[in-house]
Formats: sequence, structure tokens, C-alpha cells
Amino acid sequence: MSATQTITFDDSRLEELAQQEPQAPWGRRTSTFRAAVIPGVLIPAAIIVGLWFYSDLPKPVLMVAVYLPLQLLAAVGAAIAVRGTKSAADAIIIVLAIGATIFSIVVLVSLLWSIFSKGWEAMSTAFLFQNNEYISPSTPLGWGGVGHAVVGTVLIVAISALIAVPLGVMTAVYVTEVRGRAVPYVRFFVQAMSGVPSVVAGLFIFTVLILSGVLSQSAFAGALAYSILMLPTVARTAEEVLRLVPEDLRTGALALGSTRARVVLRVVIPAAKTGIITAAILGVARVVGETAPLLLTSLKNDRTVLNPFKDPITALPTYIFDNVAQPYPDAVVRAWGAALVLMIIVAILFILTRTLSARGPR
Amino acid sequence: MSSTDTESFRDLQSAATSHRGDRIFNRTITLAAFTALIVLAGITVFLGLQTIPVLQTQGLSFLTTSIWVAPDYGIWGMLYGSVLLAVIALVIAVPVSLLLSVFMVFLAPKGVSKVLTNLVDLMAAIPSVIIGLWAFYILDPVSQEWQQLLNQYLGWIPIFKNTSGNFSGTPFTAGFVLAVMMIPIVTSVTREVLGRTPPELINAAEALGCSLWTMLRYVALPYGRGGLVGGVMLGLGRALGETIAVFFVLKIVFEPVNYYDIIESGGGSIATLIVSKFGEAAGPYEVKLLLAAGFFLFMMTLLVNVIANLIVNRTGRLQK
Repeated sequence: MSATQTITFDDSRLEELAQQEPQAPWGRRTSTFRAAVIPGVLIPAAIIVGLWFYSDLPKPVLMVAVYLPLQLLAAVGAAIAVRGTKSAADAIIIVLAIGATIFSIVVLVSLLWSIFSKGWEAMSTAFLFQNNEYISPSTPLGWGGVGHAVVGTVLIVAISALIAVPLGVMTAVYVTEVRGRAVPYVRFFVQAMSGVPSVVAGLFIFTVLILSGVLSQSAFAGALAYSILMLPTVARTAEEVLRLVPEDLRTGALALGSTRARVVLRVVIPAAKTGIITAAILGVARVVGETAPLLLTSLKNDRTVLNPFKDPITALPTYIFDNVAQPYPDAVVRAWGAALVLMIIVAILFILTRTLSARGPR
Repeated sequence: MSSTDTESFRDLQSAATSHRGDRIFNRTITLAAFTALIVLAGITVFLGLQTIPVLQTQGLSFLTTSIWVAPDYGIWGMLYGSVLLAVIALVIAVPVSLLLSVFMVFLAPKGVSKVLTNLVDLMAAIPSVIIGLWAFYILDPVSQEWQQLLNQYLGWIPIFKNTSGNFSGTPFTAGFVLAVMMIPIVTSVTREVLGRTPPELINAAEALGCSLWTMLRYVALPYGRGGLVGGVMLGLGRALGETIAVFFVLKIVFEPVNYYDIIESGGGSIATLIVSKFGEAAGPYEVKLLLAAGFFLFMMTLLVNVIANLIVNRTGRLQK
């Protein structure tokens, strides 16, 4: 037996270990942990259910001033019993984090539920397809609808996409393909542009085109204001997508003698086609519910308008805006109905982006 | 993409067949890339030009007084109100967003976390006019009840004092609505920042016996500090510029300026002022006043946004 024994350390797995998912010991659930959690949750819950029925305290006060402290106390107690005093802070964080999550879900469910339950009342073929001509806020629900507003939204959004999507994609192409000297500045300006408040975009178009008499308040003016809001979203998403195109494709195409323009148009953009469509949809989703710019640039109109350059036009957001806070219950139901239609459009766009991006950049 | 990569790519590009079409292509793309700059400069110049005559007639009191009765106009109350609403929204939204993202990144099982991510993104996609509708009909009655209780139990704290008994149209409700709009925006940034904490650092913290709290306190939060601050400021920029959701739940009051009575009816918001006065603007001068107000709103949000992006970008570079 040798006097010294060499301890060999196999470091071939170090890299792999470092990249491993964190084990998160605070998330591990042992049986003692479970045994402590169950009373830690049930006791405060039982107390609050009892107080809910037999106490005169208002419900919000009960939740904030009684249940929350009780639950925190119980969690801290359970944590100390199982893992010692040092885990008391963990217990507080976990309770608050779950509380914040529940709070957010309650807000979201309240939003979605109110849109669907109240919007449903307004639904009818008349509501979906008729316009608002000869309709006053007090007209019963059987007549009139959002047909003209849907046409308006589609018209305005389509024109703004025609303007903003090419410009946005070209901006992204500049950053990832041309790679000129101004790349950091271009990215900086696009980021700054994404912070322009929607009402300011409306004011800008109003000053430049409407106040100066070049254009009247119309779908086209609204579309220009929308495209200011849409461009940064398209540019930033398209940039991310173009970055995913492998560099080998570019160098390969150049090596085969392609011109630079052809590399971009025939290789890079086709390779990122799905991603660019996603960028366009995200841009549309960003603007489709914007109200403030339209209040300044396209006003409203009870008739269905198809000429984007001439007449004021109503879109879904402005239709909702006009019907909120009206003293007539039917007008309010119409607002909820229009909100439901708008929300369905947003949801469709949302699902489209999810399914497209799940399919990857190609 | 490192700079050497870009340089070698550029070498390759210039070595490749140079074509007249290429020059036209490059110039077109470069021109298009400057749209953002042109728009930003355009907003500054055109709204700025409308602001000059307003400042000439109203003087600096346009910014320092709070009044909207001809011939005197001042937007101090609105500027202050925008900031007050944003602060209320931040106080509510930042803790909720941080805790929500801690839950999504460190606590929830993968599946739950994925569902929550989608829900948060869906919440961000809800148009502000719909949030305004919800705020007016669903939130406001509930919020009035909360405010009554706040006044009843915590009325001795100056900010929760209400002597009028009118709890509608308060900065509290408007700030809460802004918080609802900010939570998904801030959460999506903070979730990503916390999620980017290197696993080896978390593993090391774990090996040293850190609890969740100590790991957050000494590893995740310091590591993502820049990104977290930037995310919050992006949300702040959005809150300052939000118009429609606030429009339905805030009563615009010029005098007296509501400095801190957040559950007292009446407050200000510069973006909402523009929309609420625009339709009934009496003559070209009042339109000019609103354009000037828009100019200062733009400057305020631009400043917040630029700072936010500088912070986010700087940390982005650090992490590479």
C-alpha cells in the first residue's frame, strides 16, 4: 500500500454540471415539508372562512388586515418548524409571490369575464354587420352595429401595415444585413420611437398634415399615426428574427457570387419569412386598439366609409370610446359588444403569433 | 454579434461582386433605416414650432401655473398629475411584477410558468380603451369601496384623507388602472432578466447554503439590477403617456392642484388633458395650447425612455 494516495478529480463533467438546471432546494418537497404546509395553509383559510360569515368587518379589510398577516405568520411558523429560522424570509417571499400571482390572475379574469359576459348581450347579426346610420344612443339594441367600425379598423390597420411593415423590415435589414456605421444610432432611435405616446403620434400627424391643410381627417391620416406606433415593434421583432438566420447562408450566397441585394432578397428574407410575418402581426396587434391617435386624426362617422382619403371614419376603438359613459344602457351594451369584437381580433392575432413563432424562424 | 464578425463580414461583402444595384439597394435601406430619426426629429420640430407662440403669449407660467380659463393657461397641475399617477402605479405595479416574476422563474413548475407567461402577454395585448371600459364600469365601484375603507381606517395618514366624501375620479383609481396596464409590461422584462441569472451562479449559491431569499438578495437581484430598473422605467414611460384608460376614471381638475390627496376626487394627466379638451377646443389658439402640452409630454416620455434604454442596453453589454 502506498503512503500517499492521489486523489483524482474528474473535471470532464464540470462544464455540464455548471450548465445544469438549478436544483432549487427551496422548491424541494419532502414529506415533513408537506406535513408543515398543509396546516400552514388550512388553519388561516379556516379562520378566514369563519370570519367571512360571522364577522362584521368589511371583506377587503378581512383579506388585507386579517388573512394576509395570518397566512404570513402561519407560513413563517411552518418554515421555522421544518427548516429553522433562516427560512422564515423564504416563507414570506413565497406567500407574497403566490399572492401577487393570484392578484394578477384575478385582474385578468375580471377583465376577460366582463368583456365576454357583457359583450355577449350585444351580439347579433345586426350588431356585427350594420352601421350606425340613423342610430342614436337611445336606439334599442336590435338595430345598428359595429359593421362600419370593423371596416374602418381593417382599412386603417391595413394601410398602416403597408407603410410600417416595409419600413420596419428595411430598418431591421440595415441593422443585421447592411451593418453600416450607424447601426447603434439606428437601434437607439428605434427604441426611443417605441416610447412615443400614442396621443403624441396623433398630434404629430394632426399638425403636419391636417393643420396645414394637406389632408382632411380621414382613414389615411389615422393610418399614418398608427404606422408611427407600429414601426418600432416591427423593426425590433424583425431584427431579432433576421439575427436567427445562420451566418453561413449569407457567406455561402456571397461566395457563390450573389450580389448583396440578392443575398438579402433571395436568401435571408425567405429564410426568415415566418418570423417577418410574426413581426408584422405583432405590429398590427400593437396598434389595433389604439384610440387616442384616431380621436385626433380620423374622428368618427356613422356611415360606412371606403375612401381612405376623404371622409372621417369610425374604427372599433373610437366606437367604444363614443359609447362608454353614455347615460343610455343600450349604448353601454354596444360599447361592451364592440370591446368583445376588438378583443376577439386581438386574441386571433395573439394566437397567430404564438403558433407561428412556435414553428421557428423558418 | 461581435465587432470582428461584423468587420470580416463587411470585408467579405466588399470583396463580393460589387454591383450598381447593390449601391442603390444599400442606399434605399440606409434611408429607410433613418425613418425613426426623421419621425422623432419631425415631432420635435413641428410640435416645437407650435409651442413657441404659446410660450411667447403665456410665458413660463404656462409650465408653472395651473389654470385653463381664457386668457390664462398653465399646465403645471397636469404635468404634476401625470407624475403622481405614474408614482401610484409604480408603487402598486413594481412589487406585484417583481413577485410575479419571482414566482414564474424560481417557484412555479415549468408548465405553470409557461401558462402564466402566456397570460401575462395576453394581458399586455388588451387595448387600453377596453381597460378603460372595464375601469369605468367594473373597477371604479370596487375602488370606491376600497377608498372608503382606506379613509375610514387609515385616514390619519395624510395621503388617505378624504373630506368631501366623493371617491370617484380619484388619482388612486387612475393610478390603479395604470398599474394594471404596467404589470404585464414590467413583468415581461423582469421575468426575462431574472430568468437570465446564470444557472452556475444559482447552483453555487445553493451549494453555499443560500435560501431563496439570500439567493435573490445577493445573486439574482444584483445580477439583473440594470435590467430590472430599465424594465420599470419602460413601464413608467408607458404610464406617463397613457391617455384613454385614465380618461374614463380621472376627473381633470386644474385648481387647486391635487398634490397628495390621492383618494380625493380630481387630479391631472397631461395626455388625458389633450384628448378631453381637443374635441371642444375653442379656436386655433386652444389647439396650439394642446399641441404645446403634447410637446412637453413628448419631451418627458422621451427622457424617461432614453434613460431606460441606456440602462437596459448597458446591462445587456455587461452580460455578454
